Amino acid sequence: MNIDVDFTARQEVPRWLAYGSSVFTILAALLVGAVALVTLNVNPLDAYQVMFVQQLTGLTGISNVLEKSTPLILAGLAVYIPLRAGLWNIGATGQIYIGAIIGTWIGINVTAPSFVLLILMFLGAALGGMLWGFIPGYLRAKWGVNEIITSLLISYAAIEINGYMVRGPMQGGAGNFPVSAVLPSGAQLPEIPIIESHIGILIALLFAVIVYVVVQKTNVGYEITFTGSNPDAARQAGMNSFYIYVMVFVAAGALAGMAGLIEIAGVQDRLRPDFSPGYGFTAIVVALLGRGNAFKVVLAALFFGLLLVGGTSLEVAYTVPSALVEVIQALVILFLITAEFLKSYKVDIDFTMGESKPNPTASAEEGV
Amino acid sequence: MTNGGSPSFLEMRGIVKKFPGVIANDEVDLKVKKGEIHGLLGENGAGKSTLMKILYGLYTKDGGEIVLDGEQIDLESPQQAINAGIGMVHQHFMLIPKLTVTQNVILGKREASNTLTAGKEGSSGVLKSLGEMFSIDRKGPQERIKGLSDDYGFGIDPTEPVWQLEVGEQQRVEILKALYRDVDLLILDEPTAVLTPNEASKLFETLEELADDGLSIIFITHKLYEAKEITDRVTILRDGKHIDTVDTADMTEADLAERMVGHEVLFDLDKSEVAKGDVKMRADNLHALDERGLPAVEGIDLEIKSGEIVGIAGVSGNGQKELAECLVGVRDIEEGTITVNDRDLTNKHPRKFIEEGVSFIPEDRLKYGLAPELSVMHNAGVKEYRKKRFQSGPFLDYDELEAYANEIIDKYDVRGISDARKMQSGDLSGGNMQKLIVGRESYRNPDVLIANQPTRGVDVGAIEDIRRNLLAQREKGMGILLVSEDLDEVLDMSDRILVVYEGEVVHETTPEETNKQEIGLKMTGGGSTEDSEGAVATDGGQTSKTEALPTNQDADNSNGGER
Amino acid sequence: MAGFLTNLLDATISAGTIFIIGALGEIIAERAGILNLGMEGMMLVGALTGYMTTVVTGNPWIGLGVAIVGGMLMSLIHAFLTITLKSDQVISGVMLTLLGTGLTTYFGARWTGRSIDGMKDISIPVLEQIPILGSAFFTNPATDYMAFLLVPSVWYLLNRTNLGLELISVGEDPETADTMGVSVFRLRYLAVLIGGALAGLAGAHLSLAFTGIWTGGLTAGRGWIVVALVIFARWSPIYAVAGAYLFGMLEALQIRIQGLELVFDVLPNVVNEAIAFFASPQIMATYPYFITVIVLAITVARSREGASAVPSALLQSYSREMD
Repeated sequence: MNIDVDFTARQEVPRWLAYGSSVFTILAALLVGAVALVTLNVNPLDAYQVMFVQQLTGLTGISNVLEKSTPLILAGLAVYIPLRAGLWNIGATGQIYIGAIIGTWIGINVTAPSFVLLILMFLGAALGGMLWGFIPGYLRAKWGVNEIITSLLISYAAIEINGYMVRGPMQGGAGNFPVSAVLPSGAQLPEIPIIESHIGILIALLFAVIVYVVVQKTNVGYEITFTGSNPDAARQAGMNSFYIYVMVFVAAGALAGMAGLIEIAGVQDRLRPDFSPGYGFTAIVVALLGRGNAFKVVLAALFFGLLLVGGTSLEVAYTVPSALVEVIQALVILFLITAEFLKSYKVDIDFTMGESKPNPTASAEEGV
Repeated sequence: MTNGGSPSFLEMRGIVKKFPGVIANDEVDLKVKKGEIHGLLGENGAGKSTLMKILYGLYTKDGGEIVLDGEQIDLESPQQAINAGIGMVHQHFMLIPKLTVTQNVILGKREASNTLTAGKEGSSGVLKSLGEMFSIDRKGPQERIKGLSDDYGFGIDPTEPVWQLEVGEQQRVEILKALYRDVDLLILDEPTAVLTPNEASKLFETLEELADDGLSIIFITHKLYEAKEITDRVTILRDGKHIDTVDTADMTEADLAERMVGHEVLFDLDKSEVAKGDVKMRADNLHALDERGLPAVEGIDLEIKSGEIVGIAGVSGNGQKELAECLVGVRDIEEGTITVNDRDLTNKHPRKFIEEGVSFIPEDRLKYGLAPELSVMHNAGVKEYRKKRFQSGPFLDYDELEAYANEIIDKYDVRGISDARKMQSGDLSGGNMQKLIVGRESYRNPDVLIANQPTRGVDVGAIEDIRRNLLAQREKGMGILLVSEDLDEVLDMSDRILVVYEGEVVHETTPEETNKQEIGLKMTGGGSTEDSEGAVATDGGQTSKTEALPTNQDADNSNGGER
Repeated sequence: MAGFLTNLLDATISAGTIFIIGALGEIIAERAGILNLGMEGMMLVGALTGYMTTVVTGNPWIGLGVAIVGGMLMSLIHAFLTITLKSDQVISGVMLTLLGTGLTTYFGARWTGRSIDGMKDISIPVLEQIPILGSAFFTNPATDYMAFLLVPSVWYLLNRTNLGLELISVGEDPETADTMGVSVFRLRYLAVLIGGALAGLAGAHLSLAFTGIWTGGLTAGRGWIVVALVIFARWSPIYAVAGAYLFGMLEALQIRIQGLELVFDVLPNVVNEAIAFFASPQIMATYPYFITVIVLAITVARSREGASAVPSALLQSYSREMD
């Protein structure tokens, strides 16, 4: 008995696959997640009901989702922009932390009317994030140093720096706990009436619109897109890839830095060690799902925000570890990869009895 | 020249290979005798490389059969080809620069070290293969390689890392790889493309020695004089089909050319007299390095005037590509200056050149000319998008960009586009891609157009279009630098011709004062005109195809020995 | 002082073992051209499965075995995605880290807080008597010795065997290797699986020998340090040892330095504060990361074509008939 698997390159993508792949991906991930739930003796339908449906009915749920999605929108954009230019920002986490540190420091130590103070905090956070984005961006632009590695490594360094800050220079509050002082009320983000979530969501959406417009409608966006598609041709066409590479990473850093600040000034009210529940990595998934444009990134971010909130509720309701959310995230990526592959190749599986001749990969380009 | 034995050693019968949209090999036959040097001749795209890749197991054939030494064989992987005694020297060397010559040669052969195999003759299969996997014999192969190298006068040190070797030496390592495995059949794919004339003649000597020793050789080329010089018989392919197999001695170059191309190749281009204007671009004493950091351009001066086409003739790899890249700002200049419209643009960013009115058609359109995954519109507008026409407030006006793209598509007859905004540029055919690029670079009315191999790998119809277009631009006052491997193209189109050899201009002339024979001689580093065979005929713009180019032996004679 | 040194050396060796084993696996994978960013996830899987098995069976050796298999299974996914499906190696790796972290936290939640008889120390007679060094080098759990032995083994594999030559060729220029009859697919699969196996082993060392417990996120970023270490070591097993023990020592110092009063009255306040800053555990934890970034930048900035240490085909998937 012989199983023959043959890949042939597709000439064009069938419609259902092209449009449905995101949905298909999510459904597949949830299905496998259901299996994991079953192994812990939890009814997946009940669990998903708690995770998803319950959150969306009722203001608290919606408010929570919005608050959790906000950093994801900004961090997702922070991965999306460099991705558009062909680069990987794996260090969004680090940018988040540095931004949070600087923004919080300003909030605690600077006195000013609330409106001004908040603006200063955002500026500080953006600058901090920009620094952390500048390092990998510059190294890549100037010497071609792989930005995946550099952004990742200094990201972990940033988490440690945060740990140092809350135990040392920024330590505050009662006792000797490794936390910063609480942000004074003037330094905390105001709430949106009725919905009761902080205004961070509006800020995030605002930036999403800005990013969308810049990428789709300006010269800069054109250059970023072209450079991402073929950096050599872009250079010969007169585009300055050095400038573009640095710029996308600096912009990304600014956005992620602000994401970090929003998390502190809007939700947590003080710096803690490890305050980010994996926003930086989730942002990668978000950017991949929302690869086409900034609005898709927003949608993906909202979905994962929902997932994050749902995960916490799940833990409360069923004592199932919220780590299930991470598993589902990973599965989404896994199925996304598979869907991408299926979009480009048609898979034929042949079961034959007896010997069969091997039939190596068919080709996909013109030969000479 | 050797004569092989009588029956065919290798027979490829009715080989078919299809790729999406193209039949690369259409029932091709090939018969090679033992000990013969068999040429495989054809233009770019004729199917020669494909056929050989099938023979070497890199591609699977869609139809036909292969018979080697009387036995039908299946060649589904390079390993099987190697086992069958077939070796291949590829056009782009298959060498790993970091590893030594020895390591490159023995890669994949898996010989166990002596200490492991000593006294274990006849050990069982599994143990033997484990032994081969987990040890390595270095001394033995090293000595064998040195021996082979000495036998054929290669002068290679097996312990040297490959990245330190010169091009000619690297090619010899490629040959050593095959010799080391005791192949019966050796395939060489356009081997002289990267060699100097001296290295090429050395190679030919080696090949003749090998053929004398009984090795069957298949020599792929698109150069007529090579086929004439080295082969015993020639198989000509055109458009994927087998055209003819002939004895080389019975053929003239014109005969071969006719079979290769299919018709008498006479270009009927109306080249009118155009008054030359100001100097648009001037380069003085240019020095530049190539990708590997070795000197490629070694002191070139040139001028391009308005309304003139300056042709650069030369064998690929003598610095023309690097020269073209310097002239558009893409390559750094080590020494020398470039001025455009009297502005010094030495080592300025490509953007400055573009703004100053310099356009560029790069050699490799997919790598440098286009972003294949972006739309035709994106690609058409890539040099002009900063202009006012396309700016609307702070935004880029994509509607205008689309209109602009359509203008180019119409004017330059780029076919196969239904929607310029949606269609990916990579989905165009080669000829249409090139027309798109030519259009994009010409339509903006540059002062200077640097065209590097503008008609390479393009179908005949598109070639005519492109050439006509270049001449038309010339009449409008554009200055054009035309770098081309196609000697006919250079002779037909240029007002002046510079012959480039080893990074320098070795000869400057006009089509009226020279002919293909003389240029061919200069291109290969040949001697002064008085010593070359035959008088220099004045052609007045048309090229004659019946004279054979002087052989390397003649060049050596006229120079009095080693150059 | 001697006690402190012995203690430090002991901890350095033990901490270093995790890095060595992980790094050797990653070196093999990367030299074959596949970047494995799933190291952290695979180490966690190894740690948890090893731990669970040991609790259930009482035998840490079986635990080691299962951990190795666990790591291999995870890496099999990576191999399939990146080699057969030719997907992006970065995405696949990050995904596996997420998956590994999530799965182990999820399934491991009910296993936190148990105690086990981890791997016992094995002493080498006579040699263990050497002052300071004896305890550090010759009284160790089995996995430390495995690390010692793996280093020359991997070096030998890469530099003195045909298999190793082919593996390197596949990571430098898969097209060339293919034309020489080397099976690119098989070798890359093999390399990735070895990487996974060693990742699992490293994780098992962590839970069974180094800590003796399980808790979610046990590896605490060590997987990323392994990735950094490979670059820092320029893909050489020998340098990797040096780097592993260097980073191991930094980790060991981090904890121990807190107990020391590093205030010197002789020096001005500013200097004392600077020392306190640079010697604080968290800041020390950043050193491996920053050092590696600097080393990487220098390596890349200075590389010449033939002599660069980076495997030339790293991150490139290979397919025979594509260009």
